[in-house]
Amino acid sequence: MNECQCCRQEYAADVTPAAWFARMIPNCLAYATEAKAQGRPIVGIMCEYTPRELILAAGGAPVCLCGGSAKTVELAERDLPNNLCPLIKSTYGYHLLKSNPFLEMADLIVAETTCDGKKKMCELLAQTRPLHVLALPQKENDADARESWYRELGKLKAELEERFNVTITDEALRDASRVMNRERALRRGIAGLMKADCPPLTGRQVLDLKSSISGLPADFAQYERIISDGDARAGRPRSGSSRVLLTGVPLPHGAERVLELIEEHGGLVVCQENCTGVRPLMDDVDLDHPDPLRAIADKYYHLPCSVMTPNTRRMDLLRKLAAEYHAECIVELVWQACLTYDVEAYFVRKLAEEELRIPYLRIKTDYSPADSARIAVRIQALFETVQGRKVAP
Amino acid sequence: MTFYAGIDAGSRTIKIVLLRAGEVIARGIADQGIAQEAEIERLYARVLQEAEVERDAVRAVATGYARNLARGAEKTVTEITCHARGVARLAPEARTVVEIGGQDSKLLWLEPGGLARDFAMNDRCAAGSGRFLETVAARLSVPLPELGALAARSTAPATINSTCVVFAETEIIGLLAAGTSPQDIAAGIQGSLARRVAVLAGGQIVPPVYFTGGVALVPGMGAALEEAFGCSVNIPPDPQYTGALGAALLAEETGRITHGYNACRSS
Repeated sequence: MNECQCCRQEYAADVTPAAWFARMIPNCLAYATEAKAQGRPIVGIMCEYTPRELILAAGGAPVCLCGGSAKTVELAERDLPNNLCPLIKSTYGYHLLKSNPFLEMADLIVAETTCDGKKKMCELLAQTRPLHVLALPQKENDADARESWYRELGKLKAELEERFNVTITDEALRDASRVMNRERALRRGIAGLMKADCPPLTGRQVLDLKSSISGLPADFAQYERIISDGDARAGRPRSGSSRVLLTGVPLPHGAERVLELIEEHGGLVVCQENCTGVRPLMDDVDLDHPDPLRAIADKYYHLPCSVMTPNTRRMDLLRKLAAEYHAECIVELVWQACLTYDVEAYFVRKLAEEELRIPYLRIKTDYSPADSARIAVRIQALFETVQGRKVAP
Repeated sequence: MTFYAGIDAGSRTIKIVLLRAGEVIARGIADQGIAQEAEIERLYARVLQEAEVERDAVRAVATGYARNLARGAEKTVTEITCHARGVARLAPEARTVVEIGGQDSKLLWLEPGGLARDFAMNDRCAAGSGRFLETVAARLSVPLPELGALAARSTAPATINSTCVVFAETEIIGLLAAGTSPQDIAAGIQGSLARRVAVLAGGQIVPPVYFTGGVALVPGMGAALEEAFGCSVNIPPDPQYTGALGAALLAEETGRITHGYNACRSS
């Protein structure tokens, strides 16, 4: 990994992790600018199914392009239907406004056939931007589907090699997998701090402790610091707040409103089972596999997004996380018009109420703050029930 | 002697219930105004005066959307928990509560003991609320309390499809222009509101069902809900006081519901 100015800063211990990640966007921008100046490609990604390993192995910098701003939604509605997920609209709004510097820098965008809205929105992007689509099969435990995914990754590898005039060796794939495994392990370690009776962080803080670009050495140093600091601060007795397992859709940078409402009204989000939380961090790439591309394909195919059918892995993951993080309730966030999460909520509710026997609340909303007061009331009532159950016989 | 008050500062009216040893000894209701804090204070003073109770002898819990403006209250609890508690007192067997107030409607599913197991609310629009009926009454030029009596005279309730207050008003203007009678429109609008609440319930009506909130006082609304739900709907006495009663009962059980903040994380 090449080192740029921003990565050397890391070793200066005077930048605290909180201060470092508060500057996440400028940090990433400095990194991407320098990478580009060195001739490294910037590759935009739209979803956690895209293996960053392949992009890193091609010498590229993988950057997440998911939009989290309410401000870009309105313009997007010029071309997109009103009744569409705000994440898709916000991402598209940035495209129209040309106001996401990472999107403007991108030498290639990798999109996936995850949900229909995103898939079709990407066709509009492709009119003016270089775009490669990964066709994601959606049968959970199906050998043919997994084989098809492996071949899709082979095609992405070929595209990266041709477009950027590089050869992606097995060794480069293993090196990149090692970097990403390290990043996942560190972020798992930070998430794991929240298992404590009195966690050292809030869910809101945990959400900020990551970057739009993966594999930044400076971030790794800060992750290590958070884990050692956190271990030292944990362990005091806890009082008051209700422990929340937040599940469902991702909370991209700028769309943290619901998590904030939860923590402003008596909750503590101890775990985030979503694509901006622990979901993509749970499995690593097998470094000993004879075919590193196969190992990467297997890891990513098992990501339990609601587009999979059936999606039993998500229920297994929720069971495990609810126990490990001592969740007292489950809050499910569904972005408006996200059909797959909205329907799958049926199973999550059933799991919470009938099996885990903890209260469940589904919040369906978009990026506008119009319903914040209503959501706050429902959240408070949920916590009153959680606390009330503790004293009820 | 300690007294316990529940202050329900709703969007359209303020309700206060005063308890002594678990029994209601006084109560009052007043319209909400612009100066909400002062309106709440005025009603609170009036209720205490009528009961001849000193303010220092009262512990109060406030609820309703203006609950944070109730100066006399030492704690706030959401209207969801308060309505659940109030109904559980009046009808311990209740499993579903429909509460329709001035600007929203809620469905609560109760677990034994009077805690809300689950709840649903209209989040982004006023279609299933008292405000909907007020708009219709104004358009039909009848006082709201007479809307139910008007609807009762209907022989063929009109079909109102709009779930939006503003669009429904447009639809009513169209119906009036087409010669539909006000009584058929009034009955149609009650059915429309009831179906809207049934949709909110998502088919999860568990009897016995209790209907509370100010809209429960509108004649015919209970029957409209019965038809929409396909089961009987009970209206407790004084349904608009259920939230205030629940708040007063919670004041009495102080400490049972903690208003939790993350004290352990603050340092």
